[in-house]
Amino acid sequence: MKNIMEKVINQVTDQKAQSDLLLCKSKSLKMSSQNGDISEYKVASTQILGIRVIKDDKIGLSYTETFDEESLKFMVKQALQNAEMSSPNPNEKLMDLKGCLSDRLSIPEEEIDIKLKTDRTIELESRVKQGDQRVVAVPYNGYSENEYESIYLSSKGREANYFDKSYNIATSALMDQNGKKSNFDDYSIAHTFLELEWDKVAETALFHARNILEEKPLPTAKYSVMFHHDCLKSLMSCFSHFYSAKSAIDKMNPWGTKVGQEVASRDLTIIDHPLFERSFRTSVFDSEGVERKSLTLIERGVLKSLYHNSVTARTLNTTTTGHAVQNPGGALGIGGTDLIITGQNVKPLPSKYLEVIQMDGLYSGANRVNGNFSVAVKGYVWDKGERSMTFGNITLSGNIMNMLKNVDVVGEILVASTDNSFFSVPLIFPELSIGGT
Amino acid sequence: MQLIKINIAQEIISQGLQNGADFVEVFVERTQTEGVVFKNSRPEDTQSGTIFGIGIRLIHGEQALYGYTNSTEREELLRITKLLGARIGKPGKETSLNFETLKYPKIPIIKDLEVDVKHKLAHLKKIDDVLRSDARTAQVILNFSKKKQIIEIYNSEGLFATEERPYIRLFHHLVMKDGQLQSEASHGPGAIGGWDYIEKQPFEEVCQTLLKQASTTLYAAPCPPGKMPVIIDNGFGGVIFHEACGHLLETTAVEKKASAFWDKMGEQIAHSALTALDDGTVPGAWGSLSIDDEGMPTQKTTLIENGVLKRFICDRMGEIKTGHKRTGSGRRQSYRFAPASRMRNTYIDKGNYELDDLIASVPDGLYAKKMGGGSVDPSTGQFNFAVQEAYLIKDGKISTPVRGATLIGSGPEVMAKISMVGKNLLMMAGMCGSVSGSIPTTVGQPPIKVDEILVGGQV
Repeated sequence: MKNIMEKVINQVTDQKAQSDLLLCKSKSLKMSSQNGDISEYKVASTQILGIRVIKDDKIGLSYTETFDEESLKFMVKQALQNAEMSSPNPNEKLMDLKGCLSDRLSIPEEEIDIKLKTDRTIELESRVKQGDQRVVAVPYNGYSENEYESIYLSSKGREANYFDKSYNIATSALMDQNGKKSNFDDYSIAHTFLELEWDKVAETALFHARNILEEKPLPTAKYSVMFHHDCLKSLMSCFSHFYSAKSAIDKMNPWGTKVGQEVASRDLTIIDHPLFERSFRTSVFDSEGVERKSLTLIERGVLKSLYHNSVTARTLNTTTTGHAVQNPGGALGIGGTDLIITGQNVKPLPSKYLEVIQMDGLYSGANRVNGNFSVAVKGYVWDKGERSMTFGNITLSGNIMNMLKNVDVVGEILVASTDNSFFSVPLIFPELSIGGT
Repeated sequence: MQLIKINIAQEIISQGLQNGADFVEVFVERTQTEGVVFKNSRPEDTQSGTIFGIGIRLIHGEQALYGYTNSTEREELLRITKLLGARIGKPGKETSLNFETLKYPKIPIIKDLEVDVKHKLAHLKKIDDVLRSDARTAQVILNFSKKKQIIEIYNSEGLFATEERPYIRLFHHLVMKDGQLQSEASHGPGAIGGWDYIEKQPFEEVCQTLLKQASTTLYAAPCPPGKMPVIIDNGFGGVIFHEACGHLLETTAVEKKASAFWDKMGEQIAHSALTALDDGTVPGAWGSLSIDDEGMPTQKTTLIENGVLKRFICDRMGEIKTGHKRTGSGRRQSYRFAPASRMRNTYIDKGNYELDDLIASVPDGLYAKKMGGGSVDPSTGQFNFAVQEAYLIKDGKISTPVRGATLIGSGPEVMAKISMVGKNLLMMAGMCGSVSGSIPTTVGQPPIKVDEILVGGQV
């Protein structure tokens, strides 16, 4: 494949333009079961090649999923035509990087027989079904494995290779009790088949579905709220563009001009860590082939840096932080890696608070430019250290910027999200609005 | 020119049948895409590309086996077919197959004007200028996208069907700022067709509506939470039916009994004021198709009539698993997805009231003028929606604007509470994400009154 990519780069160079290419290949196997048998079984192998050309300070993008000579020439032609239509942006240049980087995560393991995979998938469904007599269906129960490989190549001479293999399982428990329904799903992700947590996935789905059957709305009022680590990850991800220099340049980021200012509680420090030892996936380089390192975003409440790629860095007269992201044929963007939230000045847990375990409608209910959001939530009321009731059919509204200013750190141990991509000490957000009865 | 050689399609299907499949289907897709992101008053990202791939589906009993690849190589396609066939584990039959080309009525599409890119960029600049005529405008993003999808479907029933589907969409996003206050407004018209559709949009009127929406929400007070009657205006308000009921009527959910309506055929599931349809044949509409992705001509399907459940939205697997007849609703984002029962242009039919009648009937409630997105868990029917532009209703009159409202509830409960339906039906384009990917769908409704729904907001 590298030969093909080099050939394409040469075609562009012949047109007196620079280019970089991103090739992504994947292989996957997915299956799901229903009523004790494999109901869906899916195998796939795909490839896509994207190109970015830069000619006379203008950018053109294109991609193709077919790699015959004619298609590759057409892709180059389209990218050059697209560049002609773009406005010049002298800040978008290829990074002057050479040499090869490699990030290959492949843990050796014995070949697992397909029968074992199908048997375990069916067993998982059966286990959920038999776990409680109120389970009326398992809306989704499945297994998947994915191999992903990418090669980045630039006309400046940079090459970066990435390989990753992962295994996933997921299940859900739909319960019915006198016409009242509850549904909860859980998943596990691992680098080897044997690391998958089949028991935990079934037990978690059953445990929460069982409790949600008993849910009741809460009176409309303000409450102290703790988010389950997966919910907190979703909330922080929804507003992750607050750290983006690109969003700042586009005037879509309320923190865009606040580097050096206090934007959060002085008890809070937030770090973007691409190489954290507990992370499921580390990330050695970004989409421009820049080597990554950890970046302190907020230190004791003060915004220390935004995420930069080389374009935003040149625009704002700084250096890239190695946070370029790009899909084949897509525009060069910005994105974070794994977030770590640490805290100081640990306070005791309040005697009564809500633990949110499920949030629905976050992305549709969030205003990205002012930080307001409103979501449907479910979870538990904790009272004097005991789980006293399950709540649901209520809404939670807040503003992420205000929440980060008024947050209490209530623990010191970092808790990971289910996919080990987000780590935070326990946090309580006081005075959040709940709409209920 | 055909996208793969017929003899390869024949070989794939024969191989699948030999492996014991009851039914084999080959779906071939070639899609050309182009797009421009017009931002900071200039074209920032111009891109184009080619999607190409082949999906192979084997059905055995109630089991669906699916594989896909970008390769047109005979060996690779037969390897995938054998890999899938090995799951069946019983010998099949030798078959000789000839395809008959499906003839079907074609949905009228909006013509594609022959205009060059400079003309298109000039049009985007005009829109940008109008939206920036307000000093509070902080950013305008116009996302123009166009694609031409060509599909070919071969199956073991001897069917060969092909369709060319041109899509066009222009998404407007406006950000407004005044001091520390920020708000946004968006609008995304789309159609089956070409540039003529964009030219015919009343862009000045659209821009003024967006400016008004952003300006109104910029200074609006937070919405108070609680249960109250809500008037949901026409157009994108139809997302409430799409999420709260439409997804529950797809056989993808029904076949797993993961829908609150799975056993309610012929029963009253909604207020008698409500009739709802899913129509794949609306000329030029964003969710229209001449044939679905299983090669069946689409149709106009009455889902609910005067509150009574009449039909489910059904694809081939849905028919096999539930016994309900297919409705030309087997859809997928691309060859990377097996088809599933999905909505097309889904809307609540016209009723008898003016919007003013609906507002006047509410002493204390909320007027949701413009809805945002939402989602649903079909298994429980619980949904949530964001409201982009909303006003309180006091004593039967529209009162002060409010921001940050969301609506949550359960589909079956809300359907019973739609007590008044207006006359003025309007449809809007959107994207719907589900098991077979993200597909173009239209939502629509006249103004409706929901007697009670939980509104989320700030205490």
